[in-house]
Amino acid sequence: MLRLSLPPSLRAQRSNLVKSGANSRRLLRYARNDGGWRLAAAVFASLLLSSAQASDQRCVVDDIEHTVCLPKPAERIIALSPGATELLFAAGAGHKVIAAVTFSDFPEEAKALPRIGSYNRFDMEAIVAAQPDLIIAWKEGNPREQVEQLRELGFPVYHGDQRDFLDIASTIQRLGILAGTELSANTEATRFLDGIAHYRDQFQTKAPVRTFYQVWVNPLMTANRNHFIGHAITLCGGDNIFADLDRLTPRIGVEAVLAENPEVIIAGGMGEDDPSWLNAWRPYSNIVAVQKDNLFFVPPSTLQRPSPRLLDGIDLLCQHLETARGRR
Amino acid sequence: MAAVEALRRRSVPLLFLSAASLFCIALSVTVGSVAISASDLWAVLSGGGEPLHQTLIMELRLPRSLAAFATGGLLAVAGALMQVLLRNPLADPYVLGLSGGAAVAALLSMLSGLPPFIVSIAAFGGALGSAVLVFGLSHGRGSWTTTRLLLTGVVVSSGWGAVITFMLAVGPTEQLPGMLYWLMGDLAYARSPWPALIILALTSIILLPLGRSLNVLARGPMQAAALGVAVRPLEWSIYGSASLLTASAVTTAGSIGFIGLVVPHMLRLVLGNDQRLILPAAALTGGALLVLADTLARTIIAPEQLPAGVITALLGVPTFLYLLYRSR
Repeated sequence: MLRLSLPPSLRAQRSNLVKSGANSRRLLRYARNDGGWRLAAAVFASLLLSSAQASDQRCVVDDIEHTVCLPKPAERIIALSPGATELLFAAGAGHKVIAAVTFSDFPEEAKALPRIGSYNRFDMEAIVAAQPDLIIAWKEGNPREQVEQLRELGFPVYHGDQRDFLDIASTIQRLGILAGTELSANTEATRFLDGIAHYRDQFQTKAPVRTFYQVWVNPLMTANRNHFIGHAITLCGGDNIFADLDRLTPRIGVEAVLAENPEVIIAGGMGEDDPSWLNAWRPYSNIVAVQKDNLFFVPPSTLQRPSPRLLDGIDLLCQHLETARGRR
Repeated sequence: MAAVEALRRRSVPLLFLSAASLFCIALSVTVGSVAISASDLWAVLSGGGEPLHQTLIMELRLPRSLAAFATGGLLAVAGALMQVLLRNPLADPYVLGLSGGAAVAALLSMLSGLPPFIVSIAAFGGALGSAVLVFGLSHGRGSWTTTRLLLTGVVVSSGWGAVITFMLAVGPTEQLPGMLYWLMGDLAYARSPWPALIILALTSIILLPLGRSLNVLARGPMQAAALGVAVRPLEWSIYGSASLLTASAVTTAGSIGFIGLVVPHMLRLVLGNDQRLILPAAALTGGALLVLADTLARTIIAPEQLPAGVITALLGVPTFLYLLYRSR
C-alpha cells in the first residue's frame, strides 16, 4: 500500500534509475570492447551512488575524481566552456543553463544565454550574483585559481575533461544525473555511442588512407592520435600521418607534410566559402593528395568540441576518405 | 623651525595621496558587474547585509582591491629604489631580470600542472633566484659597479625572455591563454592580499630612516662616501629589499608593467627628488593607480575581463607625457 502512495516525482525517478541501470550495462559492454574500463567503472559507480540515495540527492564522480553531490536536481547551471554548454543541452538540461561563456554558439538557444565572460577569464561577480546551483568547469581550459575560488565560495563544481568518445557519453550521463534529466541524457548517450559504433563497423577496417588534418595555418598545426580529430580519423579508417607526435596539437613545418606525402588533406579553421588554406597546398604537385585533388574541408566546430555533434564531423570525414578511396 | 617646516612640506602631499588611495579603494569596492547601492554597501561594511552582497564585497572585491593596492605600491617603491641604486632613469623593478626569473618558474609550474599556490611559490623563488644570480655574476671577480650590475641584469632578462618565448611556443594550446594572462599581469590570480601588504608595510618602515642616505646616494657613490655614508652596505640593502618587493609583487599578480618605471618619475616631476617623500608617495600612488586600473579592467567591458597591465599603461602614459611636457 505504501508503495502505491509514492509521490509521482519519486516514482518517475525510480523508473529513470531502472532505465539508467540498463544503459550503464550497455555502456559497460561497449567499454569492455573498447578497453575503457576505468571510465565505465566510474559511470557505474556514480549510478550506483545515485540509486543508493532514497531522497532526491544525487552524486557523480567528475573527471578529476571529485565526488559532486547535489541535494536535488540542479536548476541553475552555469557552463564555463562552449563544449560544456553543448553537453548540457545534449543531456537534456539545456533549459536549466542560466549563463554561458562567449563562443557558446550551439545549439541555437545557447546563443541567447547571458554571458559571464570568456572561458579563460570569467566575471566572478556575475557568476556569484547568478547564484548557480551547479557549475560545469573545463579542466584544461579554465583558469584554475578562479575555479578553485568558486569551489571555496561553496558552489558545486563539476570538472570536465573529455578525451575520447566514451568520455563524452559518460559525461552526458553524469550531467543528466546532476540535472535530473537522466532519461533524455541516457537516450542521447546511447544514440551517440551507437552512431560511433556504426561508423566504426562501416569504415575502420577499410583500406587505410594516409591523412593530414590541418588545424591552423600560421603556425601550421595538426592533431595527434589523442585529439578528437585523431580519434575521428582512426574511426573512418584513416591513417593520421602525425598520430605519433607528443603534443595534442603539434606545430609542424610544411616540409614535414611534404615528407609524409599524405593521400588526403583535410582542413578546418577557415570558413566554408574560403578555400585559401587548401589552395595553398596546390603548388606542391608531388603530394598525392594534390595530384588526386583530395583536398577537403570539414567545419572545425564539428570535430574539435567534445559533443555529440562529432557524429556530423565524423560523417563528413568518413565520406571524404571514402571519396579518396574511390579515386585510387 | 626649519625641520617643522620641512615635515609639513612632506606631510601635505602624503596626506593628499592617502586620501586619494582611500578614495580609489572605496571606488573599487563600490563598482562591479553587480550594482550594489550605497546603503547595501554600508550594511555589509558594518557587519550585516545580504549574504550575496557580503560574498561580493568581502570575498571578491575587497581582497582583490587590497591586493592591487599592495602590488602597485610594491612595484612603485621597488622602481624608485632601483632608479636610485642604478642612477639610471630607465631602471624599473624588472630591469635586473626579476620578472623574467619569476615568469620562467611560474610558467614551468603551470606547464607541469601544479596547483596555483605552488605556482605562486615558484614565482617568488624564481624572482629571488634570478636576483641572486644577477648579483653573483655582476659581483664576479672584478669590482662591483652599477654599470656591471645593470648590464648583467639586462642580459639575464633577455635570456629569461628567450626561455619564456620557447615555453610559449611549445606549450599546449589550451594553456596558452592562462600563460599569456600571467605574463600580462592580472589581479585575478591574487587570492590573499596580506603577504604583499605586510611586506609593503614592513619595508616602508625599514626604509624610512634610510631616506637621507638615499638622497646622498642618488648624487653618486663618491659624494655619498665623502659625506660619511657606508655606500656598499647601503647598496646591498637597497638591492635586497627591491628584489624582495618585486618578488612579492610578481607573486601576487604576475608581471604588471609600467608602474615601477613611471610612478617614481611622475612623483619626482611633481614633488622633487627627496627620497624621504618619494618612497612613501610612490607606495601610495602606485597602489592607487593599480587599484584604479584593475577596477577599470574588470568593469570596462564586463563580463569580459581585461588584464590590469593594459589599463596601467593606458592611464599612465598620457599622464606621464603631460607632466614631462609641462616640466620643460
